[in-house]
Amino acid sequence: MHTGHYISGGAHGILILWALFGGMFRSDPPEVQVADVSVISEAQFAAMMQPQAAPTLGEEPAALPVPDVTEPVPTPPAADTLPTSLPDPVEPDISEPDPAPEPVIATPEPELVETLPQPPAPEPVPEVDAPEVALRPIPRPAPRVAPEAVPAPEPDVEAAPEVQETVEQSETPDVTETEEQQATAPEAAATEIVTEAEEPARAPTASVRPQVRPSRPAPARQTTEAPTEQTPAPAAEATPTSPEDTAALDATASAIAGALEEALAGASAGTDSGPPLTQGETDGFRIAVQDCWVVDVGSQAANVTVTIGFDMDRSGRVVSSSLRLLSSEGGSGTAVDTAFQAARRAILRCQGDGYTLPQEKFDQWKTVEMTFNPESMRIR
Amino acid sequence: MKQIVASLLAVLILAVSAPGVVLAQSGPLRIEITEGVVEPLPYAVPDFVGETAGAQQLAQQIARVVADDLTGSGLFREVPREAHISQITSFGSPVQFADWKAINAQALVTGAVSSEGGRIVVKFRVWDVFAGSELGQGMQFAGTPDGWRRMAHKVADQVYSRITGESGYFDSRVVFVSESGPKDQRSKRLAVMDYDGASVQYLTGGNALVLAPRFSEDGQRVLYTSYETGMPRVHVLEVGTVQSRILQGQDGVMSFAPRFAPNGQTVVYSLTQGSNTDIWAMDIASGGTRQLTSAPSIETAPSYSPDGSQIVFESDRSGTQQLYVMSASGGEARRISFGQGRYSTPVWSPRGDMIAFTKQNAGRFHIGVMRTDGSEERLLTASFLDEGPTWAPNGRVIMFARETQGAQGSSSLYTVDISGRNLKRVRTPEGASDPSWGPLQ
Repeated sequence: MHTGHYISGGAHGILILWALFGGMFRSDPPEVQVADVSVISEAQFAAMMQPQAAPTLGEEPAALPVPDVTEPVPTPPAADTLPTSLPDPVEPDISEPDPAPEPVIATPEPELVETLPQPPAPEPVPEVDAPEVALRPIPRPAPRVAPEAVPAPEPDVEAAPEVQETVEQSETPDVTETEEQQATAPEAAATEIVTEAEEPARAPTASVRPQVRPSRPAPARQTTEAPTEQTPAPAAEATPTSPEDTAALDATASAIAGALEEALAGASAGTDSGPPLTQGETDGFRIAVQDCWVVDVGSQAANVTVTIGFDMDRSGRVVSSSLRLLSSEGGSGTAVDTAFQAARRAILRCQGDGYTLPQEKFDQWKTVEMTFNPESMRIR
Repeated sequence: MKQIVASLLAVLILAVSAPGVVLAQSGPLRIEITEGVVEPLPYAVPDFVGETAGAQQLAQQIARVVADDLTGSGLFREVPREAHISQITSFGSPVQFADWKAINAQALVTGAVSSEGGRIVVKFRVWDVFAGSELGQGMQFAGTPDGWRRMAHKVADQVYSRITGESGYFDSRVVFVSESGPKDQRSKRLAVMDYDGASVQYLTGGNALVLAPRFSEDGQRVLYTSYETGMPRVHVLEVGTVQSRILQGQDGVMSFAPRFAPNGQTVVYSLTQGSNTDIWAMDIASGGTRQLTSAPSIETAPSYSPDGSQIVFESDRSGTQQLYVMSASGGEARRISFGQGRYSTPVWSPRGDMIAFTKQNAGRFHIGVMRTDGSEERLLTASFLDEGPTWAPNGRVIMFARETQGAQGSSSLYTVDISGRNLKRVRTPEGASDPSWGPLQ
């Protein structure tokens, strides 16, 4: 019943004996390879590295023995041993070779024969043709007009066919009493009738900026000096009671009258000048032109600032013949001319029927100097 | 007392009247305009008048080429012929300016074509419609019928010049590399064409790889790099005869990126010796060479300034590709590009005021321009691959090559105005790259 134990014990004993005496735990040291090293001098090394003379050839080597061909040459396989499917044949590149370059045939140079003479001037357009621009509507003729406008009578004057001065009672009582009558005047007339609907509003069309308090200009001093010179110096020292006072007062009165006359004359002469253009009116004019100012930002002309002068008529249209280059800055002559042409086109193209400007201020804008500065548009 | 009061009253009256004098505007109204519009100038080109039998078709074709040239520049916009009120039936008849004003045509080009004895005569006039006058003087060209396109280009150049004040570029040619086949097996040939892609003619066969052709100043010769010998070598080709020869140089070294000097007698190019690439100059007549750079880095893509006094080139001496300017005789170079990314293929503008370049940054390629001192850098394009800019003869337009992405991608030529506007493709029969714009003929 302990057979298994005996067998196991015997086997383990054999295994232990084999391990002890069979060489399993014997450790032989590995073999160490030893190379002989010798120290040589530099001269010996150089001598070793010198190319050695080629060995002399001895007798020519004997010809190699030709091996006997005993093995049969393998025969090519039979046709029926070919694989059943062939790979797709590669199509040869049959694309046509590039044509050989031919001498470049130079296109014949066109000849500049001549410049042409001036073209004929356009014929004047007959007046019966439609106008180039639409005319402003003509108001209907008034039912009652006069060749010249008659100023409206004063409010307390009755209308009458003849002018009659007011007759007032004389202070002297001995004059024969006459019937009191009112003054008369012809009925007021105008060159056209303006209805209420058409009557322009009395309100100003644009608010005027508050005027800047004038500085003390030199002309004012001159004008004030003039009457002073006219006034006799002794007059200032004279007393009002003296007989000379009358002459001094007369001189002062004449000076005042002169100043008034001068002021009134100035006012009547500047009827169309009116107040200065407002900022809004100036901006409107500027925007109208700049909308037509085409700037070629990549050109040399974009480096040029030009100032153009021109005149305008009362309808706001530019007098084409008055357009002139006043000054330029930057760029060469050609670039300046190009910049001038572009600015000129802008002024002419955008005027349409005339720029919208207040006619009552015509004196302010009848002559214009416009500067075109493309600096902010230049490509950077 | 009365006298004093009277005097004060006089002074008061004068003082009251004085503001009117002061406030009244003295002199003209002065206005400054600083903002305009950037838009093409509208113009009209009615069909030219055929003055002889059989010239009518040619007259129409010439008028169309003139219109295509002007409109294609991006500076002009043609008023459609359907909108014309007046018809030009005779070249000598007066122009009805009101009719052209009404359609807002600022310029008008009229012309006529006659044919006689195998020669044609093209005459034209340019009108300033709003001024009601002629711009410049009428001109006429004569030539053979097969040169009608060049005559049309010449007319367009005249119109362009008279309106913009700058010379045109329509009667010019471009040499480029014509490409065919897939990317991994691409055949490349030198070809020359009109600036608009017409009249393509081939200068070399497709048996050898060719790169970077460059026109001479007179347009009669072309420098290019060829691998015909297995190694890149600079060749010079006579356009008229299509005869080419290897430019003299050292055997066994690579030479590439050539470009003519403005005088046409000197060539600058890159030469690789070992691992170093430098810029050299060669006198074509004598074959004498001179080394212009000697840095232990890669210097290449040299380009002369128009006066021939300076050279701009690219170098990686700072670690990345940047642009440098040096004297044409060599010497110390100054760096002009400092932006992010890598700069390459610089080309000096014919005007002399700008340098065009290729820039690679953030995975995209750009064509850009900068001042010759490196200031005012502007990128004009952006795509997967834009490279190789070349200037139009008037320095106003840049042509370059754009390659599309992918295995089927191909290369095409594009033009762009230096303002960055008017980007458009040049139609070529095959793929195209490496353009070089020739002079105005």
